[in-house]
Amino acid sequence: MTLKELNKKCERFAKKVGSCRRGKDCPKQYGPLSETCQTGKLKICKITGDRKHCARMASLGVLPGEEAELICPQNNAQCLLKVHGGTLSLDQDTSNNIIVQTL
Amino acid sequence: MSRHSITMALAGNPNAGKTTLFNELTGARQHVGNYPGITVDHKEGYFSHDGQGITITDLPGTYSLSAYSVEEVVSRDFLTNNRPDVVINIVDASNLERNLYLTTQFLEMGVPLVIALNMIDVARDRGIEIQAEKLAELFGVPIIPIIARTGEGTDELIKQAVSVARQKKEWQPTDISYGEDLDTIIIQLEALLSRDGLLTGRYPVRFTAIKYLEHDDQIITLGQNENQTTANEMEKLVTEVSEHLLKTTDVYPEAIIADHRYGFIKSILRQGVVTHKFDTDRLYTSDKIDKVLTNRLFGPLVMLCILFFLYQFTFSWSELPVSMMEGFFGWLGSVVDSALPEGPVKSMVISGVIDGVGGVLGFVPLIMFMFFGIAVLEDSGYLARVAFMMDRIFRIFGLHGSSVMPFIVSGGIAGGCAVPGVMATRTLRSPKERMATLLTVPFMNCGAKVPVLVLLIGAFFKEHKALYMFLFTLLAWLVALVVSKLLRTTVLRGEATPFVMELPPYRLPTLRGLFIHTWERTWQYIKKAGTVILGISILLWALMTYPGLPQSEQEIYNAERAAVSAKFPETVHQELLQAQSADTLLSDAARSLQEELEDVNRKESGSRLRNSFAGKIGTFLEPVSSLAGFDWRTNIALLGGFAAKEVIISTLGTAYSMGEVAIDASDSLGLRLVRDPNWNAVVAVSALIFIMFYAPCFVTVVCIAKEAGSWKWAFFSMAFNTIFAFLGAVTVFQIGNLF
Repeated sequence: MTLKELNKKCERFAKKVGSCRRGKDCPKQYGPLSETCQTGKLKICKITGDRKHCARMASLGVLPGEEAELICPQNNAQCLLKVHGGTLSLDQDTSNNIIVQTL
Repeated sequence: MSRHSITMALAGNPNAGKTTLFNELTGARQHVGNYPGITVDHKEGYFSHDGQGITITDLPGTYSLSAYSVEEVVSRDFLTNNRPDVVINIVDASNLERNLYLTTQFLEMGVPLVIALNMIDVARDRGIEIQAEKLAELFGVPIIPIIARTGEGTDELIKQAVSVARQKKEWQPTDISYGEDLDTIIIQLEALLSRDGLLTGRYPVRFTAIKYLEHDDQIITLGQNENQTTANEMEKLVTEVSEHLLKTTDVYPEAIIADHRYGFIKSILRQGVVTHKFDTDRLYTSDKIDKVLTNRLFGPLVMLCILFFLYQFTFSWSELPVSMMEGFFGWLGSVVDSALPEGPVKSMVISGVIDGVGGVLGFVPLIMFMFFGIAVLEDSGYLARVAFMMDRIFRIFGLHGSSVMPFIVSGGIAGGCAVPGVMATRTLRSPKERMATLLTVPFMNCGAKVPVLVLLIGAFFKEHKALYMFLFTLLAWLVALVVSKLLRTTVLRGEATPFVMELPPYRLPTLRGLFIHTWERTWQYIKKAGTVILGISILLWALMTYPGLPQSEQEIYNAERAAVSAKFPETVHQELLQAQSADTLLSDAARSLQEELEDVNRKESGSRLRNSFAGKIGTFLEPVSSLAGFDWRTNIALLGGFAAKEVIISTLGTAYSMGEVAIDASDSLGLRLVRDPNWNAVVAVSALIFIMFYAPCFVTVVCIAKEAGSWKWAFFSMAFNTIFAFLGAVTVFQIGNLF
């Protein structure tokens, strides 16, 4: 592979990553938190899943109607969510059950 | 201490600074980690303030008083069963909104409360100004700003707490409104509870009613046990309300309750209590660092680099002090050798005490460096990020992100201990994930195994010590995870539980904190060497010394020595006697006499050791152990390792010093092993594999039995691990010998 080809490949990769960050690959404005790949503000719309788990999330301030900030989005994996001044790390199953709307 | 001691409880969210304040007040040297929920059992301490005796309990970190986790149950049970005179609720001033959520529940419970507004300096740095007096007025409880790390404000805090405790007031619950609909139901539930006196002796009536609405398992069970009829009536009413709310608002009552609690907090904070100098929406430095350090691509790379740096730091920086310690014990051995007369006492002091305990204490500098590195990671908050990043990997192997802490405590970053690691599994809620963690944490390289690793790697792979240590640590992780997967797909099959954890902000560790944490762990290691290991070393020395050689065999060696002596003239004997040190130049005849005598002595020592109780056991096992390359002396050390892994080194030290009397006393054990014909690089790797993975030490086994609630799992752990380790060692030895 020539240096030029390598450069092109890197450019393509950077564009791909960049487009995700700009939201081009994340058209979803409403959906599970785990599928949100843009950092920034969002509104929690609904918490689904097991009742006890919903209650625990509520006690941590992850409630429908609350505004939160996604710090470290990792598509289809765990993520970091800033809510009520604290940073929560959530696994994929949990973030699958948090329905959000990006703001 | 006053007999009429005041009882205080220290409660708050994880990482609010409870344990730091507890240490500051009691002087107790307890470990403080940044991992939420590390303090599972409550811890008690004693101190006095102006002549008043105070007993203080450090409760586990919790976010609420509902039974969502073990910590929450422990805290609530302590408050209701022990009814402390005052509860100090420590809140993080830089994260007030979330921390006050727990406070609202203390108010609802009615406990006598004093709020410690901790980390006021961090809040100030973030541009947050808190009017503590105004907040105290609105909450109706004393609020004292403090900095637990420096002790600032703690005197005033205790003064206020003592004052509240002395009032001995009845518990006075505060009512928070949950909206018209829920309040109506709460009043109905209160009426039912009061009518039949259900749980009225334990909790305030309104508190119980709210817990019923929150579907609190523990309260529901207690209600069923106390009065089934009323409990059924309560549950029926709550079920109707829950179903109605789910149908109309798509949420359970507990979400509405939490929402109102946060609303209550906001309404108070917005009354001029908190002012922000900067934009409240801005990301703090900690969040910005997280964007990089927990990134999916960079995060794991940075983590591996940090862990590798920890090894480099530990093993290169500690090299000099470790060799100095080795030299010191070698020198001590020679001093005792020349000072004490020949006999069993001298043998016990040199072979049992100095070689045994000295072998373990020699690694103190290394252990200190390792613990210092771990303390930096813990106190800075990075270890919690490691847990976050590892969660994804752990899930693949059927474990939980919370399993990371038990693994790390057990020696995931080499140097921990399996005993607290096994105990740390209590934070895991799923019984099957907990059991899988419990059974695999002993595979980690605990502080007792590290010296063995260092010894064998240092002796046989001295060119790349740090790299080999790193590889063996990765191997420990790999084996633990693969075995977990095996267990979770066979005997421990079941669903995975969610991983939700609050990450503490990154903090610059204080030197005082780092030194305290490093010293606490190092001291534990030294204490173990001075007590358990000393006892086991002496016992093993006795097993390796007695019954000694039979008279007839002893006479054969005496005759051999006499025959050798007779071959040389008296002048040569005189020359050898007058030689002051090993460096003294001897004539050819004197050297020849010395070598021949040493040869007889060596043969005699070897025969004596082989004839001892331990030697007989080691020899009995040799036909099987030789498949993995272990001779009878190594077998003795490995058997000693069942008592405590530290004993392996001390026993090897004793066994090889007794078998090799001719070698200079100041020779390190590593050198003796390199010179031994039964040892080579392949045997070293085989031994390392066996030592890393065979049965946990006796104390860990007892802990496993206690934590698992059955000896069945403890025996399983011993048998499974030993068979697994032996098969691994045999494979390595047999394949290694082909090349």
